[in-house]
Amino acid sequence: MSSQSEIVLTRAPVPLVFGFRWSVGRMMEKFIKTLADRKILGAKCPECGYVYVPPRWRCGKCYARIAEENLIELSGKGTLLSYTTAYVELDAVGNFKDLDKPKVIGAIKLENADSTLFMPLGEIKPEDLKEGMKVEVAWREKTKGELADIKYFVPT
Amino acid sequence: MPYIKEQRKETISVEGDWDVGGSTTWKHSTLLQEYAQGLKEKKIIGSLCPGCGKVIVPPRNICGRCHRKMDEKVVVSDIGTVTCFVISAPFAKGQAKVLGMDPVEIGLVEEGERVISVYVKFDGADSNVDTELIGVEPEKVYLGMRVKAVWAKEPQGRLSDLEAVEPLKD
Amino acid sequence: MRNVAIIGCGQTKHSGRRRDVNLAEMVGDAVWNALEDAQVGPHEVDAFTVGNMQGFGGVAQPEQWLGDWIGAPGKPVLRIATGGSTGGCVAQAAFYAVASGLYDIAVATAWEKHSDSKEPGATTGLAHVGLGNTLNMINFGVSFKHLLSMVAAGAAAGVACYQAMYYMHRSGCRVEHLDMVAAKDRRNAANNKYAHLQWPGCTPEDIAKTKWVAYPFRYGHICPASDGASAMVLACEEVARKRCKKPVWIKGLAAYSDEENQIMSEGAGGIGILDASQQIGATMSAIKAYKMAGIKDPQKEIDLAEIYQPFPSQELMFAERLGLFDEGTAWKALEKGETDINGKMPCDLSGGVNATNAIGSSALQRILECALQIMGKAEEHQVPKEVHNAVAHGWGGATNYIAVTVLGDSPY
Repeated sequence: MSSQSEIVLTRAPVPLVFGFRWSVGRMMEKFIKTLADRKILGAKCPECGYVYVPPRWRCGKCYARIAEENLIELSGKGTLLSYTTAYVELDAVGNFKDLDKPKVIGAIKLENADSTLFMPLGEIKPEDLKEGMKVEVAWREKTKGELADIKYFVPT
Repeated sequence: MPYIKEQRKETISVEGDWDVGGSTTWKHSTLLQEYAQGLKEKKIIGSLCPGCGKVIVPPRNICGRCHRKMDEKVVVSDIGTVTCFVISAPFAKGQAKVLGMDPVEIGLVEEGERVISVYVKFDGADSNVDTELIGVEPEKVYLGMRVKAVWAKEPQGRLSDLEAVEPLKD
Repeated sequence: MRNVAIIGCGQTKHSGRRRDVNLAEMVGDAVWNALEDAQVGPHEVDAFTVGNMQGFGGVAQPEQWLGDWIGAPGKPVLRIATGGSTGGCVAQAAFYAVASGLYDIAVATAWEKHSDSKEPGATTGLAHVGLGNTLNMINFGVSFKHLLSMVAAGAAAGVACYQAMYYMHRSGCRVEHLDMVAAKDRRNAANNKYAHLQWPGCTPEDIAKTKWVAYPFRYGHICPASDGASAMVLACEEVARKRCKKPVWIKGLAAYSDEENQIMSEGAGGIGILDASQQIGATMSAIKAYKMAGIKDPQKEIDLAEIYQPFPSQELMFAERLGLFDEGTAWKALEKGETDINGKMPCDLSGGVNATNAIGSSALQRILECALQIMGKAEEHQVPKEVHNAVAHGWGGATNYIAVTVLGDSPY
């Protein structure tokens, strides 16, 4: 029927923004606050020895409980396992936007850690990237105990 | 209130925003068009199910019970019965916002006013229309009260042409 | 179809602000409590069913990232979301998994974390449930006053307000009875260490002092928005008899959906249901669940009930729909004390949803609480009589999803 085949489109007449704030839990809070001292914490499972960064209180391999005493300090140095270069990014409503400069993101395995960290890489040209190259963390000038204290990772 | 309160650590939060309004476009059928046009002529239109004979106001495509298409439209009376009512708490400025606007501040309701929302079964229909009841004190409302539609002074073919209902005067 | 029993239960403390944990930690807590209670190791679990209300906590598919916090890697995970009855359907899906013979041990877990949303309570979630329809009405020129009238009636309560008026008109129940039910629920919750709104010694007069939200509901009648998670371990008969001292058998279950009964249907059309308190899904699923459980006279054979009642009128209304009281008499039974812990038909000894509402978890908690009562593990709110049969109920969606589960201390 004609009335059913016609479509009308509707959008909200006023901005309708819902805000969220996700609590991070104790282990993650310790990790974030310790960034102020330019230290990266990892969690070592007391049963199987797997080291997670950022830390978590339940081992995902053997399911043992990891306590705050099992937090260890990591050196901030690591190996680049894999990487990719991004040339576009998404805006808030799903469109592609060109980036001024290509962004490099790497999968990094920190020394003495077992899990992989995905972090941006800086001060490097995409063509100079190589799997297995050594990288280390570059800190923000003034660290405040926030996730943004880790600026990016740079080749050593 | 004397509830047992417990103290718990408040850990850091990570924040984020979701623009529901800006990021989504909904598609709807134009089924309500006929209904809104009917309201302009002071007619309340419903769709009739060829299977169970129910008349649903406002109209819809498919009967919810027997799943048949409801193409035929019928006009129901503008006189009906209150089948249910709810009375709001008295409105106060700063209490609630609808679509970002304070109803008392913009003059939609008066300070202390109580809004009576009713379900009305218009004669001939088998569904409730939800609307506002005006012209009577909240204490005097009862289930089964007979009411009549109140039309907008200048109908424009919009849903707001059926403004409210008021008690039927014998 | 095999017999299935609940062999372990776990919950977290429910409260308005569980900011001390993140979502994965909270759900993990409940699952590990359940596994410990059942004495089952994580590697022995064969399947998981999970659920919560999508989008309420701002994460659309949380099971994606909390899988390895609950022991799910290597196992199938099924997500169920059916509004308020999510928890009940999650448990029923775990039942399907084990009864079918495909899996021997299944874990059902459900949760909600409202405090992750900046807006109070369940505003964010409820807003985006009704947004599409509201925009359609605006498109066709609905007046702002009309929207206000809808919000005024339903801001906190939605169609439950209308539903309560229908029930009160048909049965003779009065607002005083709603005060009595809410007071009983919050008093009972004070004996449940996992509940949210705990008010020891709460009286109907205390509830009557609270402000009106929309007649007939006061602030003191309305359920809270809680953060919390709960979980259960279900097992087939062979495993249950070997490993659990007192397994709780799921004797009968049924779920019914119906036309949406909120205020309007899709596209702002009308709904062919004139009486919002009819809830035919509740009656029909109760009939089917009792038949499957072999219960012929629920008023005599059911020992206690956990009813899904975010609003006090629903405790009375659904108790009647589930056949526990004759039509229109639940409020009279309440006056006589029959729904108290020492009464003939104790209802919601845990405080029910009126005292604790983490939406995903609440219907699962109804089954869990019945199980605790049958096992004798309900501690301070344990009913002082032998519980042979109990009925748990879940309700949700646009008042159109109902799930009823009958549990017992023997499979037959």
